Amino acid sequence: MQNFEGLHHVAFFDAIAMELPGEYASQEVNHLTLAYFAVGGLSLLRELDRINKDEITKWVLSFQVHPEANDDIDVGLFYGFCGSRSTQFPLPNVKDPCRNVSHLASTYSALAILKIIGYDLANIDFKTLLLSLKKLQQPDGSFMPTHIGAETDLRFVYCAAAICSMLDDWTGMDMLKAKEYILNCQSYDGGFGMVPGSESHGGGTFCAVAALHLMGFIQVDLASNIRDSSSINICMLLEWCLQRQVTNGGFQGRRNKPSDTCYAFWAQVLYYAVLTLRESGHKAVYAAVERPLQFAQTAAIMEILHGLVGLVRSPVSATLPQIGSRLFLTWGVLWSFPETQSHLLVTTLVISWSITEIIRYSFFGMKEAFGFVRTKTRVWG
Amino acid sequence: MEHAKSGPSSWPELADVVPVPHDDGPSPVVPIAYRDDFREVMDYFRALYVTGERSPRALRLTAEAIELNPGNYTVWHFRRLILEALDFDLLEEMKFVGKIAECNPKNYQIWHHKRWLAEKLGPDIANKEHEFTMKILAIDAKNYHAWSHRQWVLQALGGWETELEYCNQLLKEDVFNNSAWNQRYFVITRSPLLGGLTVVRDSEVDYTIEAILANPQNESPWRYLKGLYKGENNLLVDDERISGVCFKVLKNDWTCVFALSLLLDLLCTGLQLSDELKSTLEPIRSSHPETADADPATVVCCILQKCDPLRVNYWSWFKATLSQIS
Repeated sequence: MQNFEGLHHVAFFDAIAMELPGEYASQEVNHLTLAYFAVGGLSLLRELDRINKDEITKWVLSFQVHPEANDDIDVGLFYGFCGSRSTQFPLPNVKDPCRNVSHLASTYSALAILKIIGYDLANIDFKTLLLSLKKLQQPDGSFMPTHIGAETDLRFVYCAAAICSMLDDWTGMDMLKAKEYILNCQSYDGGFGMVPGSESHGGGTFCAVAALHLMGFIQVDLASNIRDSSSINICMLLEWCLQRQVTNGGFQGRRNKPSDTCYAFWAQVLYYAVLTLRESGHKAVYAAVERPLQFAQTAAIMEILHGLVGLVRSPVSATLPQIGSRLFLTWGVLWSFPETQSHLLVTTLVISWSITEIIRYSFFGMKEAFGFVRTKTRVWG
Repeated sequence: MEHAKSGPSSWPELADVVPVPHDDGPSPVVPIAYRDDFREVMDYFRALYVTGERSPRALRLTAEAIELNPGNYTVWHFRRLILEALDFDLLEEMKFVGKIAECNPKNYQIWHHKRWLAEKLGPDIANKEHEFTMKILAIDAKNYHAWSHRQWVLQALGGWETELEYCNQLLKEDVFNNSAWNQRYFVITRSPLLGGLTVVRDSEVDYTIEAILANPQNESPWRYLKGLYKGENNLLVDDERISGVCFKVLKNDWTCVFALSLLLDLLCTGLQLSDELKSTLEPIRSSHPETADADPATVVCCILQKCDPLRVNYWSWFKATLSQIS
């Protein structure tokens, strides 16, 4: 019987916290987010003492952009956190007015790190941050993540809501307009697309429901309010979410697409919707799959380590964020909130991760053995 | 795409430039061991960026930086400033970004750059953009970025004339392609040429029912069918073709979850079963004795509990709420 190799996971996060290989250069702009995965992972494994919190605080705060003495806040620059040094130009002789390119996603990551390590967010200049955050909101209620222009979609509505929630100050956004944008993103089938008209998507649905919840427009256990039609179509949302679990136990991000472990996370929106189902006896299911899950997670770690030492061609830059976030999420639920172990969502989550990983390794195995894999089956979409 | 065989430090036109080194700052977490070529290009980029230079050599440098890291939105932004300052040929730029997009079809910054260019080039570029997204979708018919871009081009620049036909073609190739079904819904609800949903609803119902009968296990057309009556559930119930397709499918296979689920929706919205339809349920009732005196909706819930075991708890809960309402 395999045990969960917690120490391997700790060593993994320790290793990436020290240094990432050159293949990660393409993730450079997401540097702060990678740090968030590492810090979050260590925290969930109860090993946060391995890192120097003061140094991390200093490092994260060094990414915050502050207005210069003669800056006009009304011009519309965003005073959040940059995601990396390549988007931060603190040199005084920078002529380009857009030297400061802080980003909503980096700001979210920065605040999350600071919160995890226990830093008091009252110490940062959040007034300017929130004032400038509001300037990123578009007329249709969505958010642009930087002031230099970028795509606007539900991801950044969620980031904005999460930022305001962590700072416990909602002056940073017009919540009603944001809600209007979110409602416009609900598709004909109950899920949410990233922008109005787009196909329903697991990530978009999470962002929509999480943002609405953070803003206070929907409550936990909304399944009990299922006939309330004042905001989103809850009935259809619920069915859409539930139908995303496929026969292999995993969750797909969109209808008729393959399952992927990241969508087991996005499907946690079900937590809000189906609270009333908790009495249905999931404990037995969890206990039955605990071992396969632990084995699968260990195998996932080896995928990273093998990629790092060059044993396999797996791109580490792709697998690290994926697997790092999976570990973070799984152990975040299981370790931080033991009372959820019997919850339907966690049960289906751990089942889907186990089975999905088995399928993924079968795919890799076939590819290595035969040089190809049959893709025209419904499982692979 | 042409790119330098050696790094910027060997480019004659950059001989006078002093590269600005990367500074990770105090005690970095997850520092990246940058390869030398990446480091060199970014050091030169930094040098030109801070001086605000808008020149052909700066443009060439951004191309180099983009090739190494197409996700760096600061580089793309700098490139756009240079393009404007040099009054660069934007059609040429479209070709440049197109080549990069083909190698990185899921990169947000690239698609955003294409949108920025298309906005400037106007309606004349619509057809070329539709050709481009078609090319990307031919490789991956569900590429979310390509679909988003296609929808944006349609709404901002036009090209609706052949879109429904394109959906038909994609669905012929793969009727399980949910992105194509979503695009179909987009077209019938937003195209200025079709008259709106209520005008095309009738023909769309027939089209969808045909797709359902060919592949009843395909969830997409079932959801699309219901979507055709979004916000008008009374009309959904009144259209006999809807309940008709449910029963037609169930006669062949009473375990079809999508047929049962839609039937349940109809029953909850007030569908009254004719005696003929009630009799269709009889064989199912007899193999489920616990449903002997139950109303049709409860019977359907019981069947769903059996044949959709992954969601058994949901159907149990649904059944319980039925009795609460009644």
